[in-house]
Amino acid sequence: MDVIIQAIINGILTGSYYGLAALGLTLVFGVIKVINFAHGSLLMVGMFAAYWIVMLTGIHPYAALIFVIPTLFLFGYALQGIVIKPILEAQREVREPVEVIIVTTGVWYILDNLALMSFGAQYRVVQTSMSGQIFMLGDYIFPKAQTYGLITTIVTSGLLVWFLKYTKMGKSIRAASLDRDAASLMGINQYRVYNIAFGIGAAIAGIVGCVLIPFYYVFPSVGVVFDVKCFIIVVLGGLGSIPGALIGGLIIGLIESLFAQYMASTWTELIVYVVFLAVLFIRPAGLFGEKRDW
Amino acid sequence: MAYLEINNVSKHFGGLKAVDEVSIKIEKGQIYGLIGPNGAGKSTLFNCVAGTYAPTSGSILYQGEDITGWKSWNICKKKIARTFQIVKPFQTKTVLYNTMVGAFINTASTSEAKDRAMEVLKRFQLGDKWNVQAKNLTIADRKRLEIARAMATEPDMFLMDESMAGLRPNEVDEMLDEIRKIRDSGVTIFMIEHIMRAIMSVSDRITVIQFGKKIMDGTPQEVSKDERVIKAYLGESYGAA
Amino acid sequence: MNASSKRKTIDTILKIVLAGIVFTLPLWMTSPTYLQILILLFFYAYLTTCWNLVGGFAGVLPLGHSAYVGIGAYTSTVLFMTYGLSPWLGMFVGGVIAAIVGLIIGIPTLKLRGAYFALSTMAFGEGVRVLVENTMKLGPFEINGPRGISVPLKVGTPMENLINYQFVDKLPYYYIILILLCIAIFITWYVSRIRPGYYIIAGGEEPEAAQALGINVARYKEMFMALSCFLTAFAGTFYAQLNLYFFPKGILSLDFSFELAFIALIGGRGTIAGPVIGALLLRPVGEFSRIYLSAVLPGLHLVIYGLILILVMLFQPRGLVEPLTRFYNWILDKLSGERKEVKA
Repeated sequence: MDVIIQAIINGILTGSYYGLAALGLTLVFGVIKVINFAHGSLLMVGMFAAYWIVMLTGIHPYAALIFVIPTLFLFGYALQGIVIKPILEAQREVREPVEVIIVTTGVWYILDNLALMSFGAQYRVVQTSMSGQIFMLGDYIFPKAQTYGLITTIVTSGLLVWFLKYTKMGKSIRAASLDRDAASLMGINQYRVYNIAFGIGAAIAGIVGCVLIPFYYVFPSVGVVFDVKCFIIVVLGGLGSIPGALIGGLIIGLIESLFAQYMASTWTELIVYVVFLAVLFIRPAGLFGEKRDW
Repeated sequence: MAYLEINNVSKHFGGLKAVDEVSIKIEKGQIYGLIGPNGAGKSTLFNCVAGTYAPTSGSILYQGEDITGWKSWNICKKKIARTFQIVKPFQTKTVLYNTMVGAFINTASTSEAKDRAMEVLKRFQLGDKWNVQAKNLTIADRKRLEIARAMATEPDMFLMDESMAGLRPNEVDEMLDEIRKIRDSGVTIFMIEHIMRAIMSVSDRITVIQFGKKIMDGTPQEVSKDERVIKAYLGESYGAA
Repeated sequence: MNASSKRKTIDTILKIVLAGIVFTLPLWMTSPTYLQILILLFFYAYLTTCWNLVGGFAGVLPLGHSAYVGIGAYTSTVLFMTYGLSPWLGMFVGGVIAAIVGLIIGIPTLKLRGAYFALSTMAFGEGVRVLVENTMKLGPFEINGPRGISVPLKVGTPMENLINYQFVDKLPYYYIILILLCIAIFITWYVSRIRPGYYIIAGGEEPEAAQALGINVARYKEMFMALSCFLTAFAGTFYAQLNLYFFPKGILSLDFSFELAFIALIGGRGTIAGPVIGALLLRPVGEFSRIYLSAVLPGLHLVIYGLILILVMLFQPRGLVEPLTRFYNWILDKLSGERKEVKA
């Protein structure tokens, strides 16, 4: 029983940063209606940015957020503007042009391999004040870094929800997500909104990067692992739904953690794929997604 | 028993009653009009008949057969064709290609389909534009293509959704002529239209819908004089005939 | 000879000459390295042409087609090793299994929106890979998990070689894959001219309109999915017999699936020549940069690949086949002194 509870705790902690990682993706999809295959790469960029800052300056990873967040935001903003916007403009009638998927995959290939070329394939890890530290609650172990990660997830999602609900830009983003053309008729510059939404998505990926480096290996293809998982979480939770992304993340984290008690981790991968396909077949809209005529 | 019977059909979207217990009886060989202010539920009703939506309640009988909730491709196989309010041509394909897709419902042979399609195109003055890509057509020609493509399926019943929207007055007159010719060739027509003079001049009977409910039906004469209809169209400048 | 048929004649002559060169190539270009390169080229061209039946005609984006290559390879090899069944027959069995699997996955997913279909094929492809990597034995069959399978060497008399689908030198493989490619191209060409072809293209472009014209779009997508998977599996068997070794991370990988999709997209999906042209252009680029550049800078060829993807999608989203066709027509114009005549 204790083992189960510890597994649940681990699952929740893991699920929280999965959810945070998926948050940016679901925001981008909910607003711009594009699947960003480069999402994992943005995460990787965030991780490397955090890694190098911490390595070179020795500051606390969470302090590095000050630099990482604006950098990733601008990076995402620029990426959307340079690479995705032209396609959206050319394909105005199509709701989800497939070219965007391809272009973001191109970005993914480029980013991952530039990182490979620049930094090499080796797995890196950084020692921080949190590495290896734990909290104890009764008999249960709460690794410090992951626990801070959970808190970060809660704080970030809270800020995001507040932003979307109460700020002007946030409301513009929500309007644009409901209907692209209607929003632009209302004076909202839809492309600027998209750039900002994408920037926010990238910034969140940067936050995840900072959260991860105390306990996760950093290497050029780390994004791929998260990419696929994030897609699964986003579909599970419902594309465009913030609570969906968080709860989806928790579910996946729990599945991995609980099933790992009974089988090798390679099989848990398979379970996740099966769950994904099951969700698609039974309820493609996901847990919190809007039901449309699929 | 009428040719097409729409019996107390309702279509709800969540809490919204887009169509509310509408009944319409269309006789064979008629041109039957459906009018109403924007958002009244006309296209939704059409979509219920055409199979894009399944009605929430009520039934639709075609020549006595219950076709309620049938899928749109099966409805087409029953020889009911439809056009779309916002035309949907296969943009990158030629006019002929578009029309052949329609003709294929009655033959599996490509050459047969080509011949029949060309015939239909000639009927609708698109014969010499057979090789133009659909996206390069004028709006009037696109509307014609939409009709020609649907007519290539050789339907007995034709649902026309605002086929004259966006046309110039002389084009509207041409279209009216073609609609009459379609009816004369033996096709029953059920049409939605906003251009009052057009639908009044060509329909045998008209149903008026507002807020999803039928407010009256009758001949164009009766409809144009009806107080409820005039009120519903406050702002429309069409007076009594 | 009247004006326009002179152009047509030149067109036909050029095509015959090209076919002649391709079919007689091994007779005068005997370097086995180059032959191997060409074989792989045709292999990819075949695969992308098969992919195009779903990804081009049906207008959806399958990103897990390597699963069907793997099904072909594993099926024919496992039947060969366990029962001595000729891989030619095993190839057909693999094709049928691939078609069935394709339908199982296709029927629920083809009616989902584009991005969802793409994701589900990805998940499915990865799921198959993980499943195979975790399976050492399936009933009487050796699957061998992540280490993959070595096809037992069984060369003997030419007749035995033919039955066992194994040859000592490369020449027969060249012709086999070339013939497979021609068959795939022919099927693509033929299908586009008959009713199912018209229907599926219509269904891909404007599904609602197509349905209103009597087309059960989902049914046709499923048909083409089954056909595509069936043919794709043949390539798996070919690969197994060519290399006599395959393993999950190679033949069932996401990268492989993606590569097939990209080649077809860059070449021009939905066209007959597009996928082939894509393969002919991209594969050499990929191979050369991988061979010569990745020793210097690992991953550079993928950066180049990614750049090409982005540039083509930004500037020629319908694929390179379009400008290349225009260029070809321009050449024909110059050679014959006439303009192209329009046809339906």
